[in-house]
Amino acid sequence: MRSLLPPPAWRWPVAACIAALALLAGVAVSRLGPSADQARAGAALLATSLPDAQGKLQPLDQWRGQVLVVNFWATWCVPCREEMPQFIRAQAESGAKGLQFVGIAVDQADKVQKFAQEIGLNYPALIGGLGAMELSRDLGNSLMALPFTVIIDRDGRVVHTQLGLLKPDRLEAVVAPLLAAHRHA
Amino acid sequence: MDMHPTSAGSRARAPEPDRRRIAALVALLVALLVALPVRGVDLPGGEAKLLPPEDAFRFSARAVDDHTLEARFDVADGYYLYRDKLGFTVEPAGLASGTVDLPQGIRKHDAFFGDVETYRGRVVVRVALTSGRPGQALVLKADSQGCADAGLCYPPTVQQVRLALPAAGQGPGPVVEPPRKKGWFN
Repeated sequence: MRSLLPPPAWRWPVAACIAALALLAGVAVSRLGPSADQARAGAALLATSLPDAQGKLQPLDQWRGQVLVVNFWATWCVPCREEMPQFIRAQAESGAKGLQFVGIAVDQADKVQKFAQEIGLNYPALIGGLGAMELSRDLGNSLMALPFTVIIDRDGRVVHTQLGLLKPDRLEAVVAPLLAAHRHA
Repeated sequence: MDMHPTSAGSRARAPEPDRRRIAALVALLVALLVALPVRGVDLPGGEAKLLPPEDAFRFSARAVDDHTLEARFDVADGYYLYRDKLGFTVEPAGLASGTVDLPQGIRKHDAFFGDVETYRGRVVVRVALTSGRPGQALVLKADSQGCADAGLCYPPTVQQVRLALPAAGQGPGPVVEPPRKKGWFN
């Protein structure tokens, strides 16, 4: 009877290949991140309530079931301001399909209100103050820098985080399949 | 053709199994070296290469004489500080005269804030004191806020150093840096 094991001279190379493949698989899985963590991070963010520029408390939970793009920004952050016109366009184009942008400003309400009027902001701008930096750190913004953007699917899972500018093609690539997907929960 | 060679067949083609084992080990090590750095490369927006604010904007200071402090920022390449966001406080509070000599920055027009000035490279700021005694200990706190050309900004950061005023005729004190935080990245 022929053995299922490879011949002795092949065992080492075969074992090495299996070990390397297992290692690569492990690395791939750790990069994807377990979905329990994504759900937990999303739940923590959705459980947050922050005041808008008029001082009215807005629970993020009200946008559950939509594809939510939460953008941490500030008026003193030039790159943040530079990427906002593309968010305004995407909100106008895809809002009806269930895309919802929410800005969390690490800033003062009067400055946020003035800038929102100037730029014609068409999505909510909440005021986070410096406490919002810690909220973003818990979502993976280890440098606590801006802009930082979190994309949450219809089931409340964090599917993408971006420190620095979110390029329009990247936003489109992440958001399009999420808009097409139906809610599971 | 038989794709699964029998033991006898492969043994006949492998007179030196030890050499193969070494080759396999080398292959495994190469695979490890290839696989391990993947995590760092894939971080969004090249996050791995960005400096924490205290390294992007390295603060240090010295006491020049009994009534003058000199604060410095060494701004890393590719980063800049806002002039109007620099602020200095001295403890004990009565010691500061309120005169802070900020050098001129690079002028830029900002659509929202109007004209703003930024600093790159080394920035040296003179902070005047009212009445210091030789040997007096004090704390100099520096507020700063800056950004990276890579397209992101840091929130306002406070850094501080402890200084001692030099005795009369002794010359400037040593340059002091804030204590370094120990972390994964340094």
